[in-house]
Amino acid sequence: MKTIASFDVQYDQFLDSEGEPQQALPEFARDPATLISLYCAMVLARGFDTKAIALQRTGKLGTFASALGQEAIGVGTATAMRAEDVLLPSYREHAAQFCRGVSMRESLLYWGGDERGSDYAEARQDFPNCVTIAAQVCHAAGVAYAKKLRHEAGVAVCIFGDGGTSKGDFYEGMNLAGVCRLPLVMVVNNNQWAISLPRSLQSAARTLAQKAIAAGIEGFQVDGNDVIAVREAVGRGLDRARAGDGPTLIEALSYRLGDHTTADDATRYRDPETVNRQWQFEPVARLRKYLARIGAWDKEKEEALLRECSECVNQAVEAYLATPPQSGTAMFDHLYAELPAGLQAQREEAFRFAPRDGENHGGS
Amino acid sequence: MADLNLVEAVNLALARALTSDPNVVLLGEDIGANGGVFRATVGLQARFGAERVFDTPLAETAIAGVAVGMAAAGLRPVAEIQFTGFIYPVLDQIVNHASRLRYRTRGRLSCPMVLRSPCGAGIHAPEHHSESPEALFAHIPGLRMVIPSSPVRAYGLLLAAIRDPDPVIFFEPTRLYRLFKQDVADNGEALPLDTCFVLREGTDITLVSWGAMLQETLAAADRLAEEGVSCEVIDVATLKPFDLSTILDSVARTGRCIIVHEAAKSGGFGAEIAAGLAEQGLTSLLAPVQRVAGYDVVVPLARLEYQYMPSVERILSAARQALEFA
Amino acid sequence: MKIFKLPDLGEGLQEAEIVEWHVKQGDEIGIDQLLVSVETAKAIVDIPSPYAGRIERVFGKTGETVHLGAPLVGFEGQEADSGTVVGKVHVGHQVLEEAGAGAGAGISAERAASAIRATPAVRALAHRLGVDLSVVTPSGPDGLVTTQDVQRVAKLFEELGPAEPLRGVRRAMAQNMTLAQREVAAATIIDDADIHAWKAGADITIRLVRALVAGCGAAPELNAWYDSQAAARRLLKKIDVGIAIDTAEGLFVPVLRDAANRDAADLRRGLDRIRADVNARRIPLEDLRGNTITLSNFGMIGARYAAPIILPPTVAILGAGRITEQVVAVAGVPAVHRILPLSLTFDHRTVTGGEAARFLNAVIGDLQLAT
Repeated sequence: MKTIASFDVQYDQFLDSEGEPQQALPEFARDPATLISLYCAMVLARGFDTKAIALQRTGKLGTFASALGQEAIGVGTATAMRAEDVLLPSYREHAAQFCRGVSMRESLLYWGGDERGSDYAEARQDFPNCVTIAAQVCHAAGVAYAKKLRHEAGVAVCIFGDGGTSKGDFYEGMNLAGVCRLPLVMVVNNNQWAISLPRSLQSAARTLAQKAIAAGIEGFQVDGNDVIAVREAVGRGLDRARAGDGPTLIEALSYRLGDHTTADDATRYRDPETVNRQWQFEPVARLRKYLARIGAWDKEKEEALLRECSECVNQAVEAYLATPPQSGTAMFDHLYAELPAGLQAQREEAFRFAPRDGENHGGS
Repeated sequence: MADLNLVEAVNLALARALTSDPNVVLLGEDIGANGGVFRATVGLQARFGAERVFDTPLAETAIAGVAVGMAAAGLRPVAEIQFTGFIYPVLDQIVNHASRLRYRTRGRLSCPMVLRSPCGAGIHAPEHHSESPEALFAHIPGLRMVIPSSPVRAYGLLLAAIRDPDPVIFFEPTRLYRLFKQDVADNGEALPLDTCFVLREGTDITLVSWGAMLQETLAAADRLAEEGVSCEVIDVATLKPFDLSTILDSVARTGRCIIVHEAAKSGGFGAEIAAGLAEQGLTSLLAPVQRVAGYDVVVPLARLEYQYMPSVERILSAARQALEFA
Repeated sequence: MKIFKLPDLGEGLQEAEIVEWHVKQGDEIGIDQLLVSVETAKAIVDIPSPYAGRIERVFGKTGETVHLGAPLVGFEGQEADSGTVVGKVHVGHQVLEEAGAGAGAGISAERAASAIRATPAVRALAHRLGVDLSVVTPSGPDGLVTTQDVQRVAKLFEELGPAEPLRGVRRAMAQNMTLAQREVAAATIIDDADIHAWKAGADITIRLVRALVAGCGAAPELNAWYDSQAAARRLLKKIDVGIAIDTAEGLFVPVLRDAANRDAADLRRGLDRIRADVNARRIPLEDLRGNTITLSNFGMIGARYAAPIILPPTVAILGAGRITEQVVAVAGVPAVHRILPLSLTFDHRTVTGGEAARFLNAVIGDLQLAT
């Protein structure tokens, strides 16, 4: 037997868990203002996350999927993108969505059970949350194909979890994208958990990035808690895509510090002590430490930011709570471009039985 | 104008669509150089290039999922699933995504895609190549489910499907692919979706069917005509959204209805039609509505295939029962 | 273990440093008891316990930073399990009891059999033509009423002219008999009384009433009311005999009260009065209800035997037929005697054949006396 092909998997990191640079920072990271904007975006996302959980606990929001600890992946990915790129997230990427222009109110509407939450006022081409695991990889390949065929600038960027890499949709979409050399960047948010299944039981593969090798495309790992590394990696993937060099798979390593959803109790399957230990690697503190060390951040700025984020989030919550519900017949809207004649009778029936104003509109 | 069979009519419609709309893209397995295993896409890759007519890897889920993404991003993909026996992996992408993308974004995104697939039994094919799963798709809100029964209708309905702003599942009966020819005008005119086609007018009994079974149904109508029975024959064509009113109007005149479909009887689409007649046409009925359908068994292999499929004799028997009822 | 996580400390603060623990593992503590003091960017905050319970574990040491949402203290006991990962699955505590909902339990064959079978179009036609489907003899398969059947009957009725709607007494009879027919399990025994011993001018009806009383004496089960709903019967002490009287208007059944305790003359007076009241159509309602047993002396009009209809809630009716001279065997030699035929119909739901037979024997025994 002789070796006819061999591959390696690279790993990249810029700031370690203490915020110490491990190598020369990329150009964008040498600008404190840029780093500060990344930091603010992560803090805001986390503030929203906390608030959303509280809203669920008080019955004002439905089931919510927290992204605690994974803010760097969302912020790093979305801020590397351009306006003409298209984001296809999972259901845990509000950090990325906010950077793309999705409003917090829209996100709350979605989790609160109102379809209008996916009718983004900005980021009009971005896909809504994808609940069926890894389906968005195929969608992203399709979007990328359209961009390429129509000679439109724009790269499709999808984010999915470690569990998603076990799904057929993931491999099929990635494989097709590889064959067609599509302008696609796939980001794996490997937060080590798929509900209760730890990463070690998800796949025997040593890394998830190496699944790119099977599709013949570029793949590598980054420290997902290092927003600089994530942004740099996604930037590289976007450049390659724009240059016509095809898709990239980026495995970003992080940790799911919260429960799978607000209905999940992770202490059923993982030791809180282990989770506690993971906090030392978390992305927000890490960047803060670095910023503080280079003199770009301090206590006053931190307090001011927290106040500002708090106000932002509260405003969004107020706007969400004040949004009147859709009418009962809204479920017949947008079913097709035009409601078929045969459904008119059902629509009228729904109208007859719809609660009048003031009646119970159902829980959130 | 040319005499074309059904698969040639499909090819003609695809070519017309590819010509008139640069956003139309075909994707599927073996549709390029091979022209499709039934030759539905023959010559198209050579004419329109490998980017607009491309061979996908062997991945049905991706074919449907990629089509969703393409459609949302402005293309008009016409995806092919090689046989309806292989269509089941696409259910997730079609039901969870294609059918509801417009709905769940309140119209911000939409999914103008077509998923074509050859369906039905009768060509003595190996296992899994004789499926009729139209009822599965006809059940899903937000989808269209269309099955042509002739070359002219295949051409016109496929064009309509491609131009429709919403997802359409388009089954092509393999048994009809080359069974007969028809004068098909390449005029780029779409036929209307969401409506039944009255193939023959009559006064004594209404025969309803779709796809390949129209052959047996029309043959039965001919035999009944010899016996002095005037049959109205209706091709449903679009199963979803379903045009009940045409059938109600017909039964209001005839009082008797036989529904013929190849797919297994229980839970088949004929049940929907019968329920609609019971709900809204009860006082017109002079005899029970009957369904002449495939038995509730797995479609047998070639040797028993034609015993499974509804025959002219079975249709006649049901029709006579209805006529002699009261 | 029930985990208490570091709660929102307000003002968007994300973390705090543990300054001092006030509890340790194993402590039993109450709600609001001080757990730990932490220092935030702004101040030292005391954190009270949200639960009462025993501390199972304490997370983090003094000087360590703990983050918002990270575990702080674990209490012994189980966290309520949501039992889902999305939404909210309501937990109910009602225990369902299903009575007799067995698989395959369908409609009773009885109900199915009594239904008229006709398609909706035929029913609509019948309604339009004013034809009652229950009078239409079906000619279709399986008893199906066809269009032709309805049209035939409609034409027939047209030729016959309008039907006479039943009113008053006739209407009541129709309704009562329908009810009786539906409910009663009627059985009939017949026999003869040899009345050759009677003197001339005997009061036949009153002899019959007396014989009825004798029958009730032998078998009181036939002087009863039966409640089919409750499947219960009442044996009645008083014998109130309903006397069936036929008039131009229809059948009346006025009641001769307390027949057992009246002599023949009194009974005759009572019967005369009743007859007069019926003929004059002034019989009070009270006298038409509450009979405990019935006598139908149809022999006055004709016929020897019958199976008369029992009207619930009574359970027996004695029918007396036309007295005729018959050849009978007397000590092995033919003789011609006057014979009074008797038919006793009883409700077999509550009266046995034996009871009926004893009753009839006693009736016959009394009738065959000379006086």
